[in-house]
Amino acid sequence: MANKTLLVAQREYLENVRTKTFWLGILAVPVLIIISLGAGWVLNKLKEVKTYAVIDNSEPSIGRRVEMTARQGDLRAFQKAMSETGKSFVAVPEEGELPDNQDTDRLYQAMLEMPSTDMQAMVEASKDFDKAKKYKRMSLSELELDHLQPAEQEKALAKLVEDEKLFAFFTLGENPTQDLKGFNYVSNNLTDRELRDWYETAATRVVQSLRIRDAKIPRNVAERLQEKVKFREKRIDETGATSDVKVGEKANKYAPVAFVYLLWIAVFSIAQMLLTNTVEEKSIRIMEVLLSSVSPSQLMSGKIWGIAATGLTMVLSWVGFALIGVWLAPMIISGFDFPLMAIIGDPRYLISFVVYFMAGYLLYAAVLVAIGSVCNTLKEAQNMMQPVIIILIVPLVAMMFIVQEPNGLVAKVMSYIPLFTPFTMMNRAGGPPETYEYVITGILLLATVIFAFKAAGKIFRVGVLMTGKPPKLREIFGWLRQS
Amino acid sequence: MDYALTLDGVTKRFGQFTAVSDLSLKVPKGTIYGFLGQNGAGKTTTIRMVMSIFHQDEGTISVLGHSDASEVKDRLGYLPEEKGLYKKMKTAEIVAYFGKLKGMDKSTANLKARELLTQYGLGDWMDKKCEAMSKGMGQKVQILGTIIHNPDLVILDEPFSGLDPVNRDMMRDTILKMKREGRTVIFSTHVMEQAEQLCDAMMMLHKSELAFEGTVAEIKQGLDKGIRIDYDGDGSVLQQLPNHDRINDNNKSAEIFLKPGSDPQDALRWLVDHLTIRSFDISEPSLHEVFVRTVEARDAELTAAGLAATGGNS
Repeated sequence: MANKTLLVAQREYLENVRTKTFWLGILAVPVLIIISLGAGWVLNKLKEVKTYAVIDNSEPSIGRRVEMTARQGDLRAFQKAMSETGKSFVAVPEEGELPDNQDTDRLYQAMLEMPSTDMQAMVEASKDFDKAKKYKRMSLSELELDHLQPAEQEKALAKLVEDEKLFAFFTLGENPTQDLKGFNYVSNNLTDRELRDWYETAATRVVQSLRIRDAKIPRNVAERLQEKVKFREKRIDETGATSDVKVGEKANKYAPVAFVYLLWIAVFSIAQMLLTNTVEEKSIRIMEVLLSSVSPSQLMSGKIWGIAATGLTMVLSWVGFALIGVWLAPMIISGFDFPLMAIIGDPRYLISFVVYFMAGYLLYAAVLVAIGSVCNTLKEAQNMMQPVIIILIVPLVAMMFIVQEPNGLVAKVMSYIPLFTPFTMMNRAGGPPETYEYVITGILLLATVIFAFKAAGKIFRVGVLMTGKPPKLREIFGWLRQS
Repeated sequence: MDYALTLDGVTKRFGQFTAVSDLSLKVPKGTIYGFLGQNGAGKTTTIRMVMSIFHQDEGTISVLGHSDASEVKDRLGYLPEEKGLYKKMKTAEIVAYFGKLKGMDKSTANLKARELLTQYGLGDWMDKKCEAMSKGMGQKVQILGTIIHNPDLVILDEPFSGLDPVNRDMMRDTILKMKREGRTVIFSTHVMEQAEQLCDAMMMLHKSELAFEGTVAEIKQGLDKGIRIDYDGDGSVLQQLPNHDRINDNNKSAEIFLKPGSDPQDALRWLVDHLTIRSFDISEPSLHEVFVRTVEARDAELTAAGLAATGGNS
């Protein structure tokens, strides 16, 4: 007898797996991920170099120091590139310090005086030039405006901005140590604030240091005053001692989110596959032929298992793609150091994922196969499916809350609602929940799956041969009461 | 006598509605047996109970000597009225699949499916998908799926509907072949000529009750004979025939029943005067006539009973 269930399951599985659309659908997921990641990278690459100019009205002039502060990274890259060619320069100050010594000044001078074609080639060749690739400063002499009065310079620059020959220009106020009057940023593009923020940060640091000097505050005092408070993340390990949180552990905390999401997509898409398949089988009137050979319960469980195998194939293919991706990523992207491999390979996640996937699928499969069996058209089925979709959205919405508070009240309550158990318990894996919770929710879930299967069997038996309009809920409860 | 199917006092209800009421009948082994009746008379419900797709509320059903048809499911073949095929499956695959569901092993089923398809002129279609076939071909494939496992009892629900004459003949030959092989064939139909020509015995359901059962001869026994003519000319004059009781006019032929005591010779003379008669024959009423009369008589009975029950107010 079980043999016939297997035959039905086998046919169901082969019918799905043999189609090109099935494999294209599987392939679409990694391809979409690669495309969306790649698109961001390409868009960033395609971003045009932004040109800007500065009118420096400050007294004493701070323009040059702001520029050097902003370009500290580039200066270091320049120095490195130069020393590789044999010319050595002195050290660039560490990040955070102001580059106001003469050596840096000389370095900056050298950078500016380098023929622009050589500079460009160097920038292209080295990955260390981050800002030089994005922002290019046009000096006023380059623009042939250096002979004009400041007010006229401003007009001329405004014209260039308007004609889109220049992305933006900055004006520095006369007296930055006193007030910030005359500090302006002029551009036609007010949505892309990157350039402004970058230049602003550098200007802030220069102005702050000038004011500190003016106030005669000793350097060490100033540093103490300006120090930011930063908390270091620590966790309590098995021995009860505290230790620093490693990147891997952080990722581990968020890994369940990825798994819940995958679980959700898998359950949702294949449960839907089951529904469509049942309705279609009903609409092509093949049910009765099948029922003359197999019992309704054999037919139902055959379908459910066949599609479960289909879903597992889908999910395992994705996991396979993910493993390949994680294996390939470090070769393509240098410095890729995300411990995904360890997480995906972690048996704790993998095993519980497969278990909760099966339990969640079987539960929703029972509901959807029952719905499918009483509907004659996909449209009817979609209407009846709406409440199920609403229920399914709950764990998706709660996902981020639960990962933040894996042992909070919401998480605990949801664990005991069998329709949410698979998602919630998977979601809480980073917690992790107490053993007794696994046991109780597991038993509840199992009991519900068995109950749902029995109920679905009763509905399926009657529903599958019904034609005409779908039965009312009251009628369906009537079938459930019949033995 | 050995029976392939016995029903005894079988009743099936759906809520308030009684689909089959107290039905008893016996189908002898190795015969062709017809299920007749109007739409909604309960034929399909009866068949579904025999196939144990439904379970009867009362009475007993014995199929091939077993009281539970699910025990002998593999020895039964069933072609439902609503027939379907998996569109994406190949023809040979689906025939073999039906065989496997009936317990055939994989290689035998695959081999037999190809053999049958070749035999029935679908050899070129074996590796094509079902969706590519015409309706007639699809029906052939379904029939092959029904008989691939050499069932001892085959039940065909409206097997002739939607078939062209060539495929009708193919269907008829298949049924006759099965009978010659000693199998029992039950089929339901609306086409009385078909039932009359093919069936060894038959039964008729009317509004969920058994109207009659037996061989064609037994059913027609005792019924008054009719005149059958083939004619040319305007058939509307037939209505003016003196002393006629009822006339089934088919435009080129007609079946005429006279009032008791009338002389068929008088009628012939009148007919020759009014129409060009090509043939004239006095014989038992056609099954068609029996069917229509039974429906009318039982409807009148039910109406009378209904009137009596409601005190004649309705």
